[in-house]
Amino acid sequence: MSLKSLTKDWEPMSYGFLDASAKREIRRKTLKAIAVPGCQMPYASREVPMARGWGTGGLQVSCTLINPKTTVKVIDQGADDSVNAASIRRFLARVSGAPTTTDTLKADLIQSRHRIPEEVLREDQILVLQVPNPEPLRPVQPNMSIARQMHADADYGRMWLQLYEQIVRSGRVMQGASYPSLVHGRFVMTPSPIPRWDVPKMHMAKHLTILSAGREKRIHAVPPFTRVEPLVFDDVPYRVEEHGDLTCTRSGAKGYFMNEIPQPDGTSTYEVSDSELGVKTIRSSEGETIDIGQTWYQNGEMAQ
Amino acid sequence: MTAHPIPSDFETRTNATYDALIWALSRPGLVRQLPMPGQANIVETLVDRECAVHTGDDMLADVARRTGATIVDPDAADHLFFGNAPTADLLGILRQGTDMYPEEGATLVLPCSIGQGPKLRLTGPGVDGSLEIKIGSIAPGFWEKRRAVMRYPMGFEIFLIDGAQVIGLPRSTEIEVL
Repeated sequence: MSLKSLTKDWEPMSYGFLDASAKREIRRKTLKAIAVPGCQMPYASREVPMARGWGTGGLQVSCTLINPKTTVKVIDQGADDSVNAASIRRFLARVSGAPTTTDTLKADLIQSRHRIPEEVLREDQILVLQVPNPEPLRPVQPNMSIARQMHADADYGRMWLQLYEQIVRSGRVMQGASYPSLVHGRFVMTPSPIPRWDVPKMHMAKHLTILSAGREKRIHAVPPFTRVEPLVFDDVPYRVEEHGDLTCTRSGAKGYFMNEIPQPDGTSTYEVSDSELGVKTIRSSEGETIDIGQTWYQNGEMAQ
Repeated sequence: MTAHPIPSDFETRTNATYDALIWALSRPGLVRQLPMPGQANIVETLVDRECAVHTGDDMLADVARRTGATIVDPDAADHLFFGNAPTADLLGILRQGTDMYPEEGATLVLPCSIGQGPKLRLTGPGVDGSLEIKIGSIAPGFWEKRRAVMRYPMGFEIFLIDGAQVIGLPRSTEIEVL
């Protein structure tokens, strides 16, 4: 055994920013997270040059998965061009040399804040979701040690009570985003603050989803072909946002999740939230040959 | 175009190994190619001084020791690597974590021969419906023992290695011997 065999060559910085031991820990934890779908796995959550709460969890998973051949797409609330998405995309490209894209169909790795793209993801794609609060039980149990025990016991009665109270008070479930969902019939997870519109896209999907919370130091995952069932009562069906009839004023895309743009006269116009889908729709209507993938929702209805 | 770091051989190899492992574990029963045959890469990809490792093979023990991991008995190990198929009794003593901390369950890496031997039917997360594979060179009673000792969400993960091929079997997968 020589000194040479015990050391590594000097490098100006680690590939993909994270050092090898941080990557190994995330590898171990993501594997366990896949093995127990929906269960939150604690991890160390290293420092990255970005403030906690701005997607550091997702960024660390992306940095671990990335290699020079990984095509990366980053979205923030559906948009590729918002500040958070653009900064993360540029950072990932700079630390890895990986090519970037805005096209969902061309991406290998999609890091997303609070949306799942409208085009169906394939089995060779990995979706990394940034999670601000990984604990679905927090509104009903602020003590995370007790919440962990409740997960261990599959004691989710208070989640049902919370939904029941919302229905009694307001006539419907008021949970707009982060709709609590039962994964593989065992763990209730938060799907990250994606709209209700996006939760059915996780159910029996072809792609792997990794959800990572950097500030809260938790990773959970939804493997492909895994049941993800929003918590609902038998007689009060799950409802997605009523965006099926809306048309995007800029692109003419119809039947997708929309951003509402309030107007001075008190009315609203709508714009498709998945910005790349809007761009593709505009370009194809201008006569370009654009490959628009199959979408999860067709004519405003989730395809079965 | 700004300069970016160039991945070292070690980084390229461990990244590709991780990619194969994560793909294999999220799709139980489907075969994935490792960048190189053998288990040494998997040791380097996953294990470091935070781990407690058991190896049933001298060469792998050297690789494991070099990562700084503690070498322990099978019942205390979080990662186990075997050069020859262990007996079914091993599964009874493996770490399975607890209901509160299921991530403390062990990861077991075994050699096998894919495409020969008894037929298994897999169901569970990651499997589209059900899937049948043939796995040989595994100790008799191994799958029955696995089913008997594990109670989800406690349990352990198994990676089956045949040359450069890998199959992942997470604890969530139901295995039926046909």
